[in-house]
Amino acid sequence: MRRRIAALFMKELRSLFASPIAYVVLTAFVSLSAVYFFQHLISYNQLLFAFQSEGLATTDFDQGTVPLQINTLNELFMPFAGDLHLFLLAVIPLITMRVFAEERATGTDELLLTTPLRTWELALAKHATTYLFVMLLLGVSAIYPAVIISKSQLGMAHLGALYLGQLAYGVAIAAIGLACSSLTRSQVVAAIVAYAVPFILLDFAWLDPVLTESAAGILSGAAIQPHLDNFARGVLEFRHAVYFGGLTVLGFTVSVASLELVRAR
Amino acid sequence: MAAKIEAKKVSKRFGAHVALAHFDVEIAPGEIFGLIGPNGAGKTTFLRILTGYWLPTEGDVYVDGDSVVEQRERVQAKLGYACEQPKLYMDHGVETFLRLMGQLRGLGGGDLSLAVERSIERFELQEVARRRIGVLSKGFQQRVSLAQALLHDPPLVVVDEPTVGLDPRQQLELRRILQGLGGSHTLLLCTHQLREAEACCDRVALLDRGKLLRTFSADELESAGSLEDLFLEQTQGRSDT
Repeated sequence: MRRRIAALFMKELRSLFASPIAYVVLTAFVSLSAVYFFQHLISYNQLLFAFQSEGLATTDFDQGTVPLQINTLNELFMPFAGDLHLFLLAVIPLITMRVFAEERATGTDELLLTTPLRTWELALAKHATTYLFVMLLLGVSAIYPAVIISKSQLGMAHLGALYLGQLAYGVAIAAIGLACSSLTRSQVVAAIVAYAVPFILLDFAWLDPVLTESAAGILSGAAIQPHLDNFARGVLEFRHAVYFGGLTVLGFTVSVASLELVRAR
Repeated sequence: MAAKIEAKKVSKRFGAHVALAHFDVEIAPGEIFGLIGPNGAGKTTFLRILTGYWLPTEGDVYVDGDSVVEQRERVQAKLGYACEQPKLYMDHGVETFLRLMGQLRGLGGGDLSLAVERSIERFELQEVARRRIGVLSKGFQQRVSLAQALLHDPPLVVVDEPTVGLDPRQQLELRRILQGLGGSHTLLLCTHQLREAEACCDRVALLDRGKLLRTFSADELESAGSLEDLFLEQTQGRSDT
C-alpha cells in the first residue's frame, strides 16, 4: 500500500513540476509576498521614524514617543497576513484545477482505477502532493520575514504562529480546490469553483445587518476570516485548527466520493 | 496461471439507456476470447465492468471465483488492461511510466526492474525507453500500453481495440504479440476488426445494442469461412436507423 501511494506521490510531483504553471505560481507568490512584506516593513519604519523624530510629533502625542497602536502586530504582521491570504487564494486554484480534472479529460483515470489501487490511496497521493506544494510556497516566502525578524530579535514565535495559520488555511483551500477538480473534467470550471467557494466562505459579516444575532454568530463560526485573524495575532487555538482541519477532511472526502461516483455512474 | 472468467447476468444502464443487458459468458483459462459488434454494442462497457472501472447495474463478473463487485482489488491484481486509444501519461518517459505502473501493481525492488526490462525487450521498446511517450508514434504508444498491461504477468489480459489507428504493418506485429499470449494467459480482446478477431481468437461473441447475439467457436468460424459473413447475417435488419 505504501509503495503504491509513494509511487503515485512521485508521479504527481513529476506532473506538477513538468508544467510551467508550478514555477510561475511559485515565482509570483514568493515575489509578491516579499515585495508586500518589505512594503509593510518600510511603512512601519517610516512611522517609527516620524514619531521618534523631534518636531514631527503632533500635539496629540508626547514628542519622541511612539503611540501604542503603532507596533509590529498592527503595522507588519496583520497586514502581511491579509496579503498572504489573498495571494494563497489567488494561486492555489491554479495548481489544484489540473490535478483530478486532467486525469478525467485525458482518460488516464481509467488507467489508474483499473489497477488494484483504492480510491482513497489515489486521492491521498494527489492531496499530499498539493499540500507539499503549499508548504513549499509558504516555506520559501517565509525566508525574508524570518531573516528580518531574527536580525531584529522581534517575534519569531509570532511569525511561526502566522505561518502555521497560513499553512492550515492554504491546505484547506487546496483541499477545496482538489474537491472541485475531482467533480469535473474541465480545468476552467474547477478553477472557477475553487475561487468561488473560499471567496463565499471568507466572511459573512456583510450579512450581519439582515441576520439575527444568533444566526450571525453561527455564520461567523463558519467563515474563514475570523479563524485566520487569531493566527496573525500570534494566538494558536485548537478550535481554529479543528475548523481548517475539518475543511481539509471535507475536501478529501469529496475527492474520494467523486472517484467512487465514477465507478457507480 | 491463466484465469477463468464468468459473467453472470451482467447489465449496465445509464438512465433509460441500456448499454449491456443480461450478458452471460464463460471464458476458459488460456482462451483468447473476442468481443465483436458495431459501435454501441456494449463491448467496452463489459470490459469496463470486468476491469472494475464501472460497477454493473445488475449481475456480477467472477475472475477465478473472485467477484469484481465484492473483491474488486483482488480481481484487478489479476488483470492487465490496455484501454482503447492508449491512455498513457504523455509527459512520462517510457521506462518511468512502466516503473510507475509496476509499482501501482505491487512490484518493487529487483522484481520491478526485471519486469520493466523484460517488458521493454518483449515489446521492442529499447530504442524509445528513455523518450517521452507523447512524442512516440501511435504504434509505439500502443506497444507501451500493452507493455504496462503485461508488466506483472497477469493471468488475465484485457485489450480494447488494440489496432485502431495503426498501419497494416503495425497491426500485423500487434496481432503476432496477441496470438503469442494465448495458453499462458486468458486474453479478452474487444475489436471492430473482424479479421483481427478471426486471426487471433479461439472463440468470438457477437454483441449488438447491449445484447449477446451469438458465440462462435473456432470450428464454427472455420466452417463459416468468413466472420464477416456471420456478422452480417446476425446483424441483418438491426443496423442503426
